[in-house]
Order: sequence, then C-alpha cells, then structure tokens
Amino acid sequence: MTSQDNMPMTRAEKRQAKRIKRFDNPWMNPKLIWGAALLLGIIAMGIIGRFVWDPDLVFTGSSMLRLPPVGFENLRGQAGTMANPLGTDGGGRDLLALIIIGAPNTLFVGLLASLIGMSIGIFLGFSAGFLGGRTDDVIRVSADVMITIPPLLILVVFQSAFGDVSLTMMALLIAGFVWQSPTRLIRAQVLSMKQSGYVQMAQLSGASTSHIMFREMMPNLVPYLFGSFIASVTTSIVTAVGLEVLGLGPQRIPTLGRTIYEAINAGALIQNLWWWWGIPTLLLAVIFIGLLLINLGLDEVSNPRLRKLS
Amino acid sequence: MTDKPVLTLKDLSIEFPTPQGVVQAVKALSLDIHKGRRVGFIGESGSGKTTTALAVMQMLAEPGRVASGMIDLGGTNVLDLDEEQMRRARLSRVAYIPQGAMNSLNPVMRVEPQMWDGIIAHEGKLDRAELKRRSDAALESVGLPVHTADLYPHELSGGMKQRVCIAMGIILNPELIIADEPTSALDVVTQRQVMQTLKAIQTEIGSGLMLIGHDMGLMAQTVDELAVLKDGELVEHGSVQQILEAPKHPYTRDLISSVPLVGGESFLNPDTRAEAPKRASAEPLLRFENVRKDYGAVTALHPMSFQLQGDTPQIISIVGQSGSGKSTMGSIMLGFNPPSQGRVLFEGQDVATMSAAQSLDFRKNVQAVFQDPYACFNPFYRVNHALKFPFKQFGMAKSDAHTQQAMEEACAAVGLDPDLVLNRYPHQLSGGQRQRLVVARALMLSPKLLIADEPVSMVDASLRASILSNIYDLKDKYGISILYITHDLATAYHVSDYVMVLFKGHVVEAGPPKEVIGAPQHPYTKLLIDSIPWPDLHRSWGDGRQDWDPAKLEAEAAQASAVYRGMVPGFDLQEA
Repeated sequence: MTSQDNMPMTRAEKRQAKRIKRFDNPWMNPKLIWGAALLLGIIAMGIIGRFVWDPDLVFTGSSMLRLPPVGFENLRGQAGTMANPLGTDGGGRDLLALIIIGAPNTLFVGLLASLIGMSIGIFLGFSAGFLGGRTDDVIRVSADVMITIPPLLILVVFQSAFGDVSLTMMALLIAGFVWQSPTRLIRAQVLSMKQSGYVQMAQLSGASTSHIMFREMMPNLVPYLFGSFIASVTTSIVTAVGLEVLGLGPQRIPTLGRTIYEAINAGALIQNLWWWWGIPTLLLAVIFIGLLLINLGLDEVSNPRLRKLS
Repeated sequence: MTDKPVLTLKDLSIEFPTPQGVVQAVKALSLDIHKGRRVGFIGESGSGKTTTALAVMQMLAEPGRVASGMIDLGGTNVLDLDEEQMRRARLSRVAYIPQGAMNSLNPVMRVEPQMWDGIIAHEGKLDRAELKRRSDAALESVGLPVHTADLYPHELSGGMKQRVCIAMGIILNPELIIADEPTSALDVVTQRQVMQTLKAIQTEIGSGLMLIGHDMGLMAQTVDELAVLKDGELVEHGSVQQILEAPKHPYTRDLISSVPLVGGESFLNPDTRAEAPKRASAEPLLRFENVRKDYGAVTALHPMSFQLQGDTPQIISIVGQSGSGKSTMGSIMLGFNPPSQGRVLFEGQDVATMSAAQSLDFRKNVQAVFQDPYACFNPFYRVNHALKFPFKQFGMAKSDAHTQQAMEEACAAVGLDPDLVLNRYPHQLSGGQRQRLVVARALMLSPKLLIADEPVSMVDASLRASILSNIYDLKDKYGISILYITHDLATAYHVSDYVMVLFKGHVVEAGPPKEVIGAPQHPYTKLLIDSIPWPDLHRSWGDGRQDWDPAKLEAEAAQASAVYRGMVPGFDLQEA
C-alpha cells in the first residue's frame, strides 16, 4: 500500500522520490563516477598525448633548459612558449612529454603490483580459510609477519642490489608487500561464509571444493575484493613513488616519482623552478583523489546503509 | 476499570517513506492499556507490533514517522514532548524490555553499574549505598541472587540476562512496561520461568504491560487482553478468553488453529502411504555405532547406537532443548562433523571413509532442511540455482527442459507458483516461501533420508503447520524417511512415528509419540511438556507461583534413568 494511490505528493516528497530513484542503481554513484573519470582522464592523456605531442621531447637536451610554463617568467626573464607549454626541466626535457609518458607509467606500476598482490591474496586467503589446519597456520603467521616488516626498507635493499630495474620488475617487487591485507580480509570472510547456510547447501548438493570457493563464495566477495584492490593500488603507488623519489626504481623510464627526484636533486626548490616538481605532484594528487573517490563510491555501493537519502 | 488508562493510542498511523513509495506500517490503531492490565500484541513479522511499541517510546527508526493520531501516556501526549522530556519519560514512565537480552547488556560492564546508569540518568547522582540498595531490591524482585550484580553479562545464562533486563526495566517503577518478544530467543523451560517473573513483577508494581509476540500459547498463558494485528491493522481486540473461545476475524482463527496441540486434532491428512523407494542393499539405511561427540572437555553427545532400516518410510523425531546435542546429531548424520568416537554407516558404508563416487551417492540420498531459510540461498544467484545445481550435479537432469519441468513440479507440490518464485532473488521471497523451496529441492532430488533440523522454528506461526505438512508429504507421498530435529514437542507428537528425547547428550525417554509425549514418565520430559505454553486457558502455566524451579527439576531429571517405551518396527534404539 503506498500513499500515491490516494493523495498527491508534495513537492518535497517528489524531490525525495526523484533522489531515491537515482539511488536505485547503486553503480550510478557520483563519487564512483568522478573517481573513475579522474583516473580515466590520466590514462586518456597518456594515450592521446602520444599522438598529439612529440614523446621524444622526454630526452635530455631536446629543448632549452629551465623554461617556465606559458604565461610565466623564469629567473632569467625568459617567458614560456607554446613549444613547451608546461615548461622544461634542468636537463631540457619537456614537462608535458614527461607527464604524458610518466603518469601512465606510475599508474601502471600501481595497478600491476596490486593485481599480482590481489591474486596472491585471493589464492592464499581462500586456501587458509577453506582448508584450515596447518595450511591456515602457515599462511596466517607469514601474512602477520610480513605486515610488520616496513616494505620500503626491504625494497631499498633490493633495488640497490638490482641496480636499474624495469617497471614490471618494480611492480613484482612491490606486489610482494601488498598481498597480506587482502589475504587476511579474504580469510576472515571465507571463515564466516563457510558456516553459512548456502555453503552447507552446496556441500549437500555434492559441489566440489573449487565450485564452492569460486562459484558460491567468490561472487559474494566481489565488493570486498574491489575495495581491497583499490586500497592496494594506493599503497603500491605510494611505495613506488617513494622509491623513485629516493632515486631508486627505473633509471631510464620517466615516471612522476623520478621527475620529482631529479627536481630535488637539481635544487629546483631554491631556484624557484616550481613547475618542475609542482606539476608531477599535482598529478599524483589527482591520482590519489581519484582512487579515494572510487574507494568511497565502492563503499557506498556495497554497503547500502551509507547511501544517504539527503 | 474506572482509572484513566496508562496508555491510549488513538487513530495512530505510522509510515515509512521508502524508494518504492510510502509504506504504512500501522494504520489507524486505537487501543487503551489500563493500569495493571496485560495486553498482548500478536501478529506476524511485519504486522506493525514493534513499530507501535517504538512509537510509544519515540524511538522509531529513521525515516519512520507518526503520520497522524495520538499517543497518550498517562495524561501526557508523547508526540508533544521534546527530546529532553522524552528522555526523562523513558524508563521512568515507560520501560522497554528488548528481544535479545544478550545484545542489550554492555559486555564490558558488570551488571550493577549498568542498572545504576538508569537511576543516575533520571535522578542525578545518588549515594552509592542507596544505589546498591535499589539495584539489589530490583534483582531480588526478579528472583536473581544479589551476587549477580557483580557478574559480567557473559557469566549469565540467557534466561538470567533476560531477567536482568527486566530488573533494569522496572527499577524506576514505570507506569508501562513494553516487552518485545522477551522470550523468543529462550527455550521453553527458561521461557516459562522468565514469563512468570515478568508477570509477578508487573503485578507487584501494578503497571500496564504491553507484550509483543507471535506465540498464541504464550499469550494465552500471560496476558489479559489480546490485540491481533495484521498488515498494520488491528483486526481484533478483546479479552483473551473471548478471543480464544470465539475468535471473530478469520485471521485470528487461523492463528489459533495453526498452533498444534499435544493430543489435539492433527493438522495432517495422511491419505496415501507410499512405499519407500526400492533399495538395492539389505543394510539398514542409517546406523549409528556407539557415536559420541566431544567439543573439548564437553561431551555434546554420549555414546549412542541405533539403526534405521528405511524399508518403510518413517519420521523419527529427536526432541530436546538447545544444548541437548540434537543439532550435533544432525550434523554428524550429514557427515559435516566427524564423530569423536564410533561410526556412522549409510547403507553399510562408513560415512567418514567413502570414496568420491560413494560420497556423491551419499549426498544424493541424504538431504537436509535447515533452520534458517534466509541463509540457505546464495544471495548472488536466483533461487532456481539452488534447485538446478544439485539436480545436474547428481546426474539426474536429462536436458534443460527436463530440469525446468522437475523444478516446476516440485514447486507445485509444495504449494508454490513456479512462475512467481523460481526466477527471483532470495531476498525477494519471504521466509516461508524460501523454506518451502528448500523442501521442494529435497523433493526434486528424492533422497532416501531427509534430515530436517528445526525446519519451522524461524517461520511465521501461521505457516508452520503447512510447511510441516509439506515435509510430512515427503514421507507419505514420496516415501522418504525423515529425521525431524526439533524443540517443539507438539509438532513432534503429530508428525513422528518414534520420538527420542535428548537431555544433555543422553536419550532420556524414547518410544512412540502417543506414549512419550502424551503420557511422559521421565521427569525431564514432564518438565518440557509442563513448560509448553498452551493456548488453553484451563491449562494453567504461569500463574505467578514462584515455587516452580526448573533448576531443581533439571537436577532431578539428571538423576533419573532413561525410560524406553516400546519399539516401532524399522527403528532400533540400543538401550544405553
């Protein structure tokens, strides 16, 4: 029985009904859309940029040194030109080309590392939760131990030993430090789900262990997996940028972290070359805000109680 | 009654705006509760009982609101009170005793300071000795020893926790006590004790009592007046006597007739008797050999041996309180839980050492209906997944069309419209519909043995009888042997061919139901049967006597030896 049958709705009620309708499809979440748009924007910049701008400008000496962005003057009184709209760095590399190549690289390291980390986490979490016993003990203890080790410390040692590494290598190294929290999260969920009625029903139906794990349990874990994935992308990017700013990580491939490292090394802060470190920092901020918005949005999607009516 | 009523509800309507439109939870409800009277609110889940109670306390969950009408609490219009005035009225004038006492007490505080909180919030800081005197008096009045005050909630049993909640509720002598299904989480023996306490204390302080519940028997034994709610509407209101003896509304009649009585008329109609499916093996269908189960130091099930032949379909009931080991038995039979000692044999084959093929065969032939129909369906899939998957898994499906046809037939057999339910998600169906689907699933797989673990305890009272008769039909029409695990003696009386009463992991009485439940001999069986609230005013139960002490009776029962009351062919229980 609804009230629409007998009385006309007031204007406030109509507005509310409309607002509620918009929440009918949980994926049409403004936070989620904005977050995704920011990240897709960066990826699009990387792809389109390679066609409309010359990627060779990332090489040292390809332009004049220390040019300011358009509309600004540097300490030598040179004005920015359209040839280098975002200015150039101390080695004559064009900043626009640097971020076109570098920002997607940073995002790539983060995504790849957490994709690998999540896969390990899903595998170990399910094994620990489902098999229990000795397997569970080993996985749980090693995850707990790994979580207490500061990743940067180990990575610094690794990277200095390896010297120059590729982006993929770096992602692999970071993945070794982002599997613990998904493992623990999934293990906890699997443990509680194992007792649930529908898993018992599936057992009664003669379902195999893999069917129960991946067909019965996994779909119900998707919201957790998404949330955990985004969180580990954030961690991976922070770790990667941290290493790059310390001068570790790939030496020849432009990334946002490496650009900041070079800016600091060349004393860009005291020479007032703000665009050199400022533009990559701004892009990192955009990436993190995008990830945060996606995470908040996913939270609201998977937890309807957070969806407010107002 | 010339007094002014303690609570007057006049044309009360409560609504909840939701995405689908405004839901009217309570529609134009008018009712008086007089001083010293006990009024029961009975109805199914979603009938607006609790919503009404919460409105009286101004504690409606967002976005619910009182749309119209008046709530008058002893001369004060509750709806006119502001937040602070309402805060002062709660507990001192209207007390609320919640459903789950276990969740209502703060686990990190002792009982005493929790009781003081209420006094201090209303009367300011008081002398410690005075607080202590009052909390002790309240505890004594609910029949708890004074030292309970120094315990933490986890040190109390469920019944004690509920009595602590009652003590907290009456500590300020409210005019009205609202008890929202105060005993639904307790077993019958404890329920009787808690309801007696509540009645005694309410008589003592002379307040009004609003008892919310769905159990007609409990109502008959407890309240003076009864209000029957359906879909937010008050369909009938009158004295208990009048309603029980001459119910006017058809819904009330349904409610009363859906309560099975021991010795009463059967709600089943055993018309056809099917033979059990032909079995290749001469071995008994299920056999327990000295099965024992320990959880750490606690023995949940003492060594037990029986065998169920299964040549003629039978229903064996296993009856007991929570903690009696009956559900442990069920999970051992299903092979979910290995026994600590002894063997479980299915057609002569040890369940623990089966090969993969034997195991699949065992799964096909031993199916179950569980207690919680809400948890039995994977929320990710449409409900037909739960029916389709095992059918294919056991190699019974010839084609997709065959599966579909089998599903539709099974649904129809349990009284569901296949077009309406099969393509829905579980959350779109009611508990009763889901439980029927689980029965339909069992029917489709046509197992040899079905283990029904409290199949109706979470379903609305009016549906219980019909779901039980669906299960009963499995035996009669489809020849499936059933092990029925329950705490409800009345239903066991009607459906079973043989009853075992379990007490602390021991069988204390066993035999045909007419003898065991109809004329119990063991003190524990007697205690259980005395605790059932009958919807019969002449069979007195909680008359306020305080001398009824279940703890003493249980101790006596533990001393008595088991009573075996005759055999039925096809089921042999080995006497311990």
